[in-house]
Amino acid sequence: MSTAVGREQDQQQEQGRDVGELVLAGLLLALGVYLLVDAGSIAVPGSTNTIGPRFFPYLVGGLIVLTAGALAVRVLRGDRGPADESEDVDPTAGTSWRAVGIVAAAFLLHALLINVIGWPLAVTLMFGAVSWALGAPGLVRPVLIGGITSVLAWIVFVKALNVALPGGTLLEAATSWL
Amino acid sequence: MGSLPELLDGFASAITPLNLLFALLGVLLGTAVGVLPGIGPAMTVALLLPVTYVLEPTSALIMFAGIYYGGMYGGSTTSILLNTPGESSSIMTALEGNKMAKAGRGAAALGTAAIGSFVAGTIATLLLALVAPTVVELAIGITPADYFALAVIAFVAVATVLGASPLRGLASLGVGLYLGLVGTDLISGQERFTLGVPQLADGLDVVVVAVALFAVGEALYVASRLRRGPVEVMAMQGRFMTGQDLRRSWAPWLRGTALGFPFGALPAGGAEIPTFLSYAAERKLTKHPEEFGHGAIEGVAGPEAANNAAAAGVLVPLLTLGLPTSATAAILLAAFQGYGIQPGPALLTTEGPLVWTLIASLFIGNTMLLVLNLPLAGVWVKLLRIPRPYLYAGILMFASLGCYAVNADPLDLVILLLLGVLGFFMRRYGWPVAPAVIGLILGPVAENNLRRALAISDGDLGVLVETWFSRIVLLLALVALVGPIVLRVVRGQRPSPSEVGAGAPATGRPQHRSGTDEPAEVGTPRRDGRDD
Amino acid sequence: MGTVVVGYVPTPRGRAALDHAVLESRRRDALLVVVNTSRGDALVDEEFLQGEALRALSQELAASGVAVEVRQPVHGRDVAEELAAVVEETDAELLVIGLRKRSAVGKLLMGSAAQRILLDVDCPILAVKAPPRGP
Repeated sequence: MSTAVGREQDQQQEQGRDVGELVLAGLLLALGVYLLVDAGSIAVPGSTNTIGPRFFPYLVGGLIVLTAGALAVRVLRGDRGPADESEDVDPTAGTSWRAVGIVAAAFLLHALLINVIGWPLAVTLMFGAVSWALGAPGLVRPVLIGGITSVLAWIVFVKALNVALPGGTLLEAATSWL
Repeated sequence: MGSLPELLDGFASAITPLNLLFALLGVLLGTAVGVLPGIGPAMTVALLLPVTYVLEPTSALIMFAGIYYGGMYGGSTTSILLNTPGESSSIMTALEGNKMAKAGRGAAALGTAAIGSFVAGTIATLLLALVAPTVVELAIGITPADYFALAVIAFVAVATVLGASPLRGLASLGVGLYLGLVGTDLISGQERFTLGVPQLADGLDVVVVAVALFAVGEALYVASRLRRGPVEVMAMQGRFMTGQDLRRSWAPWLRGTALGFPFGALPAGGAEIPTFLSYAAERKLTKHPEEFGHGAIEGVAGPEAANNAAAAGVLVPLLTLGLPTSATAAILLAAFQGYGIQPGPALLTTEGPLVWTLIASLFIGNTMLLVLNLPLAGVWVKLLRIPRPYLYAGILMFASLGCYAVNADPLDLVILLLLGVLGFFMRRYGWPVAPAVIGLILGPVAENNLRRALAISDGDLGVLVETWFSRIVLLLALVALVGPIVLRVVRGQRPSPSEVGAGAPATGRPQHRSGTDEPAEVGTPRRDGRDD
Repeated sequence: MGTVVVGYVPTPRGRAALDHAVLESRRRDALLVVVNTSRGDALVDEEFLQGEALRALSQELAASGVAVEVRQPVHGRDVAEELAAVVEETDAELLVIGLRKRSAVGKLLMGSAAQRILLDVDCPILAVKAPPRGP
């Protein structure tokens, strides 16, 4: 790796972090303001001689606004949050937004599909897409593993523990004898 | 103490075959999630919450207790054999333990960790059984204002002690408090912050929030920066605990327990600090200072004992006051609430048999772990051969299962994803996740007590500092909150205005570096705010 | 000087392959390139040499008297691809691999690395089996 290029990339990434941290602090500030504003519209029923449902939201909103402000100032002064360490995270790697996007999209899709095609099938698709995005080889094996695990989990939790999970027409018909 | 017969009754009901089975299931599951990256005891208990509502509370809580203790055993195994401490309270164990394993003394390191955990867990659970009734007696007279003060100090401690940046801890706490506000106010019956979504009227489910922040957030974060390449696994070799090992271990075990239990029991932030203190103490007291840094057995025995003793200590405020001081404790509190049981001073009288069975099962789980852990260490490591893509896809699968099971509503899964994205960004920018979970669960409790206190006083805020207890506790919270800022000012204020102006997007590399623990920067006035 | 490439894993079949590869490279007076790869997708891969085991292997190979190079590529590719890449890069005259026994179901699920190597690699291949377990 040529060092000049590497450093440039590094710097770009660090600047991306700066912006990201500021955006997060900004969102927190927005949340605080929303709390303070919206707390005013909470209906206070009956007698108002003691504190009602608005007081604590004001308190929390104030705390959030103060924290967000202080955080923004510190980020501007160059303070960086130490990115979370995890056994499976490479702290030096660049961010793969593609993988994050695929995982999130696959999860959203499975959430929307559960009531249509049943939990096992929806989860199998999600499992396949997520493992593929994370670099599993091929597509057949991830889908196969996801299918087997989800059907097993469905049978254990639905048939043995009576958890409510739609199984999809086919699976429900096939296991009705259980 | 009159609690001994009750404890024996607890043993009697814990030793039914079914409950023993749940304890075994719990410790196995707990160790597995302690070993596996990406999931921890807090998340596992959260995921199991909805599916255990078919069980009796006793059985479910026994299983949760097993998961709670098992998680720590799993953490010490990976710390020693793989040098990957899953959580900050295992860092000290990894420090000496992995060196021991490298030097061919892996079996002895695992041995002293397991026996130390057992000794500490047993003594600390015994202390829990002895202390709990006394704390309850003291807590009976506690006013709502006192309780609010306790919640405040728990908030401050969790936000500022956990994680490297107190300000980001507070930010995370604020988010958790907000999430706890969403829903219908129980006292006035008013909807708050529901955005007109009918499903939000019941509030956000603890399971959904916890699983989103822990599991989905972690999966997204791992996806963003997936590590490639395996880590080195040390063989579990060498002789298991020689007589000399034992002679060098027993005092650190006891000292670790003595440090860990009180720190865990105080509402001031979990197991991390006592393990650090225990390591420092053993390093000072050892007769073999030359071995420290190269695999000293005292450096494994002490922190491991402190870790487990602190875990038992955390249960004291949880069971007697309903005050969780760690993420797992917060989820356990939610589990109690899910069964319609409110931990607090009244718990021992209203649900005495349940509590004593739970404490008894902690003893049993601890013993099971000692017996199971050493022979199974190799099996646990095999679990880590699961390729990461399947591991995280599987974690998402169980996240979906657990959260869908709460209400059978796909909207919960959409909320799960949204909060998961939040968890992802929190990890990315160094916001600790635990304060958010504690804020979510303890926030409503704090609000109720605050309002009850102010209702009694007719709105006079002075009631909050009426008793000496609340005065002292709130003062401590204030010191914990303001102290670091004052310290920073005393140590030397860093930037000049020009630096602040230039500091926005164009800050140079050296400044960034100073935020990442480089020893060279320590002590200079330019030091950044990592640790204030 | 020619090159002999061997795919090595710390198992009996890997050991057998390595022994034959050492013999072959001595006979041909060739450079021996030992490839020990991992997909790197799990936290633990016991077939990937690290630390003490790696040191022991290097010492043993150094003592064997042939010119040796140990490579440990981790690029998220499977063994067949890694070996094919090394064979192509070094223009090897021989590739030595160890064969493992697989059941029909196992082959269906996992595929056969050896089969893909035979298809992908463009040089002569010596496939070695682990010696049968002695009494």
